Amino acid sequence: MNTRRRHGPRGSQEGVYTGPSQTQSQLVPPLEAPLAVSLVPPVDTSTMSCRDRTSEFQSVCKSLQGRQNGEQAIKSVPSVVKQRSDFTLMAKRIGRDLSNTFAKLEKLTILAKRKSLFDDKAVEIDELTYIVKQDINSLNKQIAELQHLVRSRNSHTSRHLHTHSNTIVVSLQSKLASMSSDFKSVLEVRTENLKQQRSRQEQFSQSPASAPSFHSGLSNSVLMQDDSNKADVSIDMDLRSSHQMQLINEKDSFIEDRANTMQNIESTIVELGSIFQQLAHMVKEQEETVQRIDANVEDTQLNVDLAHTEILKYFQSVSNNRWLLIKIFLILIIFFFVFVVFMA
Amino acid sequence: MAASIREKQTAALKRMLNFNTPPLKNTTAEPVWKVLIYDRFGQDIISPLLSVKELRDMGITLHLLLHSDRDPIPDVPAIYFVMPTEENIDRICQDLRNQLYESYYLNFISAISRSKLEDIASAALGANAVNQVTKVFDQYLNFITLEDDMFVLCNQNKEQISYHAINKPDIMDTDMEVIMDTIVDSLFCYFVTLGAVPIIRCPRGNAAEMVAVKLDKKLRENLRDARNSLFTGDTMGAGQFSFQRPLFVLADRNLDLATPLHHTWTYQALIHDVLDFHLNRVTLEESLGSETGARPKKKTKKSYDLTAADGFWQKHKGSPFPEVAESVQEELDKYRAQEDEVKRLKSIMGLEGEDEGAISMLSDNTAKLTSAVSSLPELLEKKRLIDLHTNVATAVLDHIKSRKLDVYFEYEEKLMSKSTLDKSLLDIISDPDAGTPEDKMRLFLIFYITAQQPPSEGDLEQYKKALTDAGCDLSPLNYIKQWKAFTKMAAAPASYGNSGVKPMGLFSRVMNTGSQFVMEGVKNLVLKQHNLPVTRILDNLMDMKSNPETDDYRYFDPKMLRGSESSIPRNKNPFQEAIVFVVGGGNYIEYQNLVDYTKAKQGKRVMYGCSELFSAAQFIKQLSQLGQK
Repeated sequence: MNTRRRHGPRGSQEGVYTGPSQTQSQLVPPLEAPLAVSLVPPVDTSTMSCRDRTSEFQSVCKSLQGRQNGEQAIKSVPSVVKQRSDFTLMAKRIGRDLSNTFAKLEKLTILAKRKSLFDDKAVEIDELTYIVKQDINSLNKQIAELQHLVRSRNSHTSRHLHTHSNTIVVSLQSKLASMSSDFKSVLEVRTENLKQQRSRQEQFSQSPASAPSFHSGLSNSVLMQDDSNKADVSIDMDLRSSHQMQLINEKDSFIEDRANTMQNIESTIVELGSIFQQLAHMVKEQEETVQRIDANVEDTQLNVDLAHTEILKYFQSVSNNRWLLIKIFLILIIFFFVFVVFMA
Repeated sequence: MAASIREKQTAALKRMLNFNTPPLKNTTAEPVWKVLIYDRFGQDIISPLLSVKELRDMGITLHLLLHSDRDPIPDVPAIYFVMPTEENIDRICQDLRNQLYESYYLNFISAISRSKLEDIASAALGANAVNQVTKVFDQYLNFITLEDDMFVLCNQNKEQISYHAINKPDIMDTDMEVIMDTIVDSLFCYFVTLGAVPIIRCPRGNAAEMVAVKLDKKLRENLRDARNSLFTGDTMGAGQFSFQRPLFVLADRNLDLATPLHHTWTYQALIHDVLDFHLNRVTLEESLGSETGARPKKKTKKSYDLTAADGFWQKHKGSPFPEVAESVQEELDKYRAQEDEVKRLKSIMGLEGEDEGAISMLSDNTAKLTSAVSSLPELLEKKRLIDLHTNVATAVLDHIKSRKLDVYFEYEEKLMSKSTLDKSLLDIISDPDAGTPEDKMRLFLIFYITAQQPPSEGDLEQYKKALTDAGCDLSPLNYIKQWKAFTKMAAAPASYGNSGVKPMGLFSRVMNTGSQFVMEGVKNLVLKQHNLPVTRILDNLMDMKSNPETDDYRYFDPKMLRGSESSIPRNKNPFQEAIVFVVGGGNYIEYQNLVDYTKAKQGKRVMYGCSELFSAAQFIKQLSQLGQK
């Protein structure tokens, strides 16, 4: 065992730990193997510029435990039972939901970016959009609950715990805000793609739409030529029906256009709403724009200096006062003595 | 070595904050919240690199000093980033006993010794907290990176390794050992983080040589132990195929004492010289209230951070001051133009709102509004930076005007380049409103250092009388006399190369109406390129030129199996990367000179480091302390 060398030569204690010493070499390998499996995660440490001393620490603990006859070992297990407060549980749950929703949003982004004309998974996209919207709403409510919980616990907690909880709530809110702005941009991309698709569809389907009417016109003329004598009425009817078909087509396209514009308006209003949300968020984020760790320390030092000067001033005045008081007292005592001497 | 040292250190810190696993890039990971606890050393290391916002992004909700009162937060993991000193270890053991946090991740800035590890282990056992101590790591981050290619050793107890401490005449061997060990430990951490084993060259016969010997030994021991070496796989990882090893030049402050005293003209160096500039943070005193007699003015201190994200700062760090003034004015004009555009947009929006039926117009305007809104944060940030630089530059300009620093600068440049002097030194010294006594002392010391022969006794007495009349303290002069005698024995005093300073007339070109930088009477001086001694030495060594100054330098290669005492370099190719380290202190003038040198030479990268960063005022104080002994 390595004996502890508290006051030994400094050179051997400081500096790099260059491998376990000879006496411990037999102990370390059998200990390290099971420890390595259970504790050290399979991380590639070859590119890291730091050294893991955890296994060494564990081995030292074990050896010290062995020295203390293992009395403490049994007690160690129950005290490590993790008591998590409900705040932490809720925050963890919200975090998990957030990450799930982020994954869904990523899928949605991939889907919405597809620009192919025919393989348009409109149903899926709509479903996903609906799901993501619901998720965002529920997350919003959950975060509001969490904030309420934090505020109600305000008086009971220490100031560090309070800061900690507030920071968690703020970070969750900011994550949600960034997610909703991502969602908004995905929706924008989607509407753009829809518009493009519509315009291309119209280009392609204009000619086939006109072709059948052409064909029907031709056939009508053939029919007319063939059955000009007998089927006048039916031909007339056919012509009119084709006209009506065209009229109906026009009406449909007109209605479609209207529907498009309504969609546009709706999306624009949604955009505006989210813009306002962004603005509100920016105002909130002004709290912590660029700060540094040592800002607080220097502030307090400045305040302490000012307070010190104030106290000094007060002390001066008080001590000055005291001098006068002492002088007065002395004079009184002298007079007292004089009186006593005279009387006695 | 594609990544700069700043990026590497930041990456190492971020990895540490992520429980020492490489951080994941995607946002779908579940957030984990933790608490960061550091001591003053850790604070100095983290502050220039990560802002509070970045810490928040990594999930750190609270950051606290180790030796403060901390309340228990029972269900949060805590990351410690401290130096392995006795007090810190005691405090950690106390924390373990008080069961403050859920789990503990201990990261030590430099390697922790075995006995201290046993202390922690016994405390953990006593508190039944062994399972809570989840990880113990040696981070090897014991240096402060200020710029992409500049680092400093430590800020907290820099008196221990200051120039004064190294050069004082009554220094004991044990003290020297301690100082050397501290410096070597930090340099070792630097090379571990950099991931490369350098070739070391140093001059003979001074503190730099001792540092080089120790560093070589330490690197060699570490490389020898193949199982535990910190350098295996580092150079091969991440596609960094640097077949060439960097050159590490150790210089000693004693070979060039004039540069720290020099008055300067570039932006960053001026800020360091004239204002309170510490770890990339400037503190200005702004006085509010009028100059009424009885009441003292209330002075508030405002501090600004000059960071890597500040584009203006990065561009103009090294430019001469008048250029900076012009550029601030340009930026201000550009910002005003952008602001006007946004305001115009507002009026357009107001008009278009009445137009019905133009739905396409509406969507177009929404797009414009969206872009305007998203560009608002950028505009605000720009405004903040312009304000910052305006304030800083105004403060610097006030100092320049009141102390006539341009006169000093010009004169010193002429002294250092041994060109003809148009005014006599005595005139400047006895001029009552040209600079503080410190400035005059600096000028005189530079004159003394760079003079080929020392001035005659009569002249010296005259100068001394003039200096004492101006209120200077003469003790630095004693020390400089000793130093000069000593270096004369060793080698010829370093020459400073040719430089020319062309004054561009009395009135600067920056005379726009409404400009805040009215530089009347301040000469607009243009710097010509010249090389300081440190740069020259580096140039010789990197290009393997033979030069009487540097031929005598010792050569160390930690990767060679047997250390050789010869100073014949085995490597004949010129180096592409170099690291210059000045033992005894450095400053921004040298750094700027090296940066200019690197820009002139294509394809070479140079990094600058020093054991402490002092301004001329601090250096004079150290010199006077030395001169009084």
